Amino acid sequence: MDYPEIDKYASIDSPIHNFDPRAKIITFMVMIFSFVFLDTITKALVGLGIASLIYIIAKLPKAFVIHRLKVVFLFLFPLLIIMPLSVDGQAIAQYHSITITLEGFQYSFLVIIRALSAVTLALIMLGTTRFDITIKALYMLKVPGTLIQMLMFTYRYIFVIIDEFQRMWKAMESKGFKLKANRYGLSVLGNMIGMLIIKSYDRAQRVYHSMISKGYTGNPRTIVNFELRTKDYAIALSMILIALLMHTYHLVL
Amino acid sequence: MKEAIRVKELTYSYPDGTPALEDIDITINEGEKIVIVGPNGAGKTTLFLHLNGTLKSQDNTVMIFGKNLGDMKVEERIKEVGIVFQDPDDQLFMPTIFDDVAFGPINMGLDEEEVKNRVKKALSRVGLEGFEDRVPHNLSYGQKKRAALAAVLSMEPRILILDEPTANLDPKSRADLIQVINDLNKDGITTVIAMHDVNALPLLSDRVYVLNRKIVGEGNPREIFSNSELLKMTHLEAPDVFKMFKVLTCFGYDCDTLPMSIDEAVEFLTRTIESGSGHIHLHLHEHTHEEVRKFLHSYNHH
Ligand SMILES: Nc1ncnc2c1ncn2[C@@H]1O[C@H](COP(=O)(O)OP(=O)(O)OP(=O)(O)O)[C@@H](O)[C@H]1O
Ligand SMILES: [Mg+2]
Repeated sequence: MDYPEIDKYASIDSPIHNFDPRAKIITFMVMIFSFVFLDTITKALVGLGIASLIYIIAKLPKAFVIHRLKVVFLFLFPLLIIMPLSVDGQAIAQYHSITITLEGFQYSFLVIIRALSAVTLALIMLGTTRFDITIKALYMLKVPGTLIQMLMFTYRYIFVIIDEFQRMWKAMESKGFKLKANRYGLSVLGNMIGMLIIKSYDRAQRVYHSMISKGYTGNPRTIVNFELRTKDYAIALSMILIALLMHTYHLVL
Repeated sequence: MKEAIRVKELTYSYPDGTPALEDIDITINEGEKIVIVGPNGAGKTTLFLHLNGTLKSQDNTVMIFGKNLGDMKVEERIKEVGIVFQDPDDQLFMPTIFDDVAFGPINMGLDEEEVKNRVKKALSRVGLEGFEDRVPHNLSYGQKKRAALAAVLSMEPRILILDEPTANLDPKSRADLIQVINDLNKDGITTVIAMHDVNALPLLSDRVYVLNRKIVGEGNPREIFSNSELLKMTHLEAPDVFKMFKVLTCFGYDCDTLPMSIDEAVEFLTRTIESGSGHIHLHLHEHTHEEVRKFLHSYNHH
């Protein structure tokens, strides 16, 4: 079955893949924050360049990130239209009371470039680590237990629910149902989603029973063995340095 | 002999009013091999949920090794009773198989070394060595089922409860699982199993309880399967071998006890042939077909 797995390429061998998961999360977060606050288009483009470079080092297939960036771009595209119309500044075109401003264009470009580099970085971070290890790294980084559990269960049961949905879908198709965008089609779809929620609720109860019977008392604990090596410090240090330099190079140079 | 489980006058209705159990009395000794049978909706799963305190019952209705279940601490309880539920997807709730099998031992407060030891031991017991890093959704159903068993074995409970362990397994996996359960029982673990698979039942039970909201029958498998009224009432069936030999008796085969499994059948046949004249004698007489028809009818649900 074809799942939308974020960690499909986690078993590739690359420096980024071998980077300690905890250090990876912290380093990438620092870099994402740094790139999101870059204030000129040039800097933002350099940031995007760096993100792409890391992407190449990580040896992830092109389609992996491009496919997802397309979605992000689609969300951000309206900015390109809205901002030139709404941001004040130097007019480059005018039609009656509607003005299109240069600043608006620049600003929307800046936002889109920043977003693309941030998303690229986030995808590299998630795509180069098995998701269960990412969760454990967060656990080691003392992220609140409730959040960890939510992530854990989402990761574990999203596939079970997808399977359940596909089984129901096949059952309906085998009885001649075709989805059309009419009232009947939508009401059937609504019923199906309702069923899925009820099933999930029942399952949640059974999972809870089985957790109780294994001594669950409220916080999940697990054993993790991560070990920071010299190379992890080296990668982390250089990446964080880059992230800082992007904001402070004019003080240094 | 020590009493492992004692249930006294247990009655339970679900919050929505569905009556599930009525006046259940059960006593199971340490090391016994028990099977609980009953039709769908008989309350088997509900009963099991009471045996480890997941569903609360009144004081002193469920006693485990002489202690009131309600008074036991969590760590103590999971050390005594381990339950393997029907659907493995409900029991493998952690990101990896290692995490799942380690879940119980960690909750018991064991140190890291011991937890790892137990995970290793439990996984090898069910034949899943090296599966530590696998994620549950990539396993086959049979593997998931075994992983779910390992996740309970790692707590090393003295009582092992299994809800339909053989359902949906291929013949080889089913035979393997039966072997594992029997090995565990030989090691002194009390096993309590709910199942519909009557052909596997004799292999997994010294004693059988028939449940249909109430306990409606109790005895060894032979007694239970000889009681056609009981079977009919509870939608049960006798094992095929058992029925086959009963038919053979209509043809004049002479044996006082009917075999419950293929192995037993071979043993019995050999014995009768050796004690006779080197062969067995079957024949038709006037009433043979009438008898066969009557017998089959008494075991038929239609
Ligand atoms: N959460 C629940 N809420 C209400 N009623 C329930 C609930 N779970 C089970 N029941 C009802 O309780 C009765 C006993 O159910 P139980 O699951 O214990 O049967 P079972 O013997 O395990 O059946 P099966 O062989 O199908 O697994 C049934 O009538 C069932 O509908
Ligand atoms: Mg059940």
